[in-house]
Amino acid sequence: MNISLRNDPVELSRLAEILEEFGRQHGLTQRDLLALDLSLHEHLTNIINYGYDNTKPREIQIRLRLGDRLLHLEVEDDARPFNPLERPPIDTTVPLDQKPLGGLGIHIIRRSMDQLEYRRDGGRNILTMRKRIA
Amino acid sequence: MPITKIASADNWELTVPGRIDGAVANQLEIEILGAMRAGAKEIFINLSQADFICSAGIRVLLQYYRQMKNNQKVLLVTRPSPNITSILDMTGFIDLIVEGNRPTT
Repeated sequence: MNISLRNDPVELSRLAEILEEFGRQHGLTQRDLLALDLSLHEHLTNIINYGYDNTKPREIQIRLRLGDRLLHLEVEDDARPFNPLERPPIDTTVPLDQKPLGGLGIHIIRRSMDQLEYRRDGGRNILTMRKRIA
Repeated sequence: MPITKIASADNWELTVPGRIDGAVANQLEIEILGAMRAGAKEIFINLSQADFICSAGIRVLLQYYRQMKNNQKVLLVTRPSPNITSILDMTGFIDLIVEGNRPTT
């Protein structure tokens, strides 16, 4: 399935509906659907909110495949170069009073997916995410 | 779906249904600030009807948990749905849930 989104936060609600329908069609468990939904939401939020120098409309491409109990996701954008995998992992055991406010989105993606790969290709960021599903 | 609020004396309950994305996180922040201005000593965020919370929503909870705590007041999550519990658990925020409502495992 290929999904094309504009760089506008309102598109994230539309994406959530598409994912819910995808989950229904493919019989995804609630847990797997949540992992998919969260990962895309966090990654796209970063792209839309921080990736562009101006508010010109852009397109973000999402490719979603499911085969042999493996979910394969690819997100491609023409935002400024950003490799989320370079962000250091956060320590979840730090008490609430000392927790940093940032870095959570990428942590959520790391915890929700089994494998992540980033590449910059032809002026585009491509993040590949894979997850074994139930 | 709107955020509903019940206030009795110094104790407020804000119920946030559905999907807590960036926009709803902003609304929640406005409601929390309103409760704080009204002098709330305890703010409980009821997430029994929420099924999604993104990092922006968690940041709002953390930020106002701290502000309230620094003023010897309380802000905590009550009755989280299974999805919310799972997200708060994976992010290390289980302590935001009121003690009796945390998962037992």
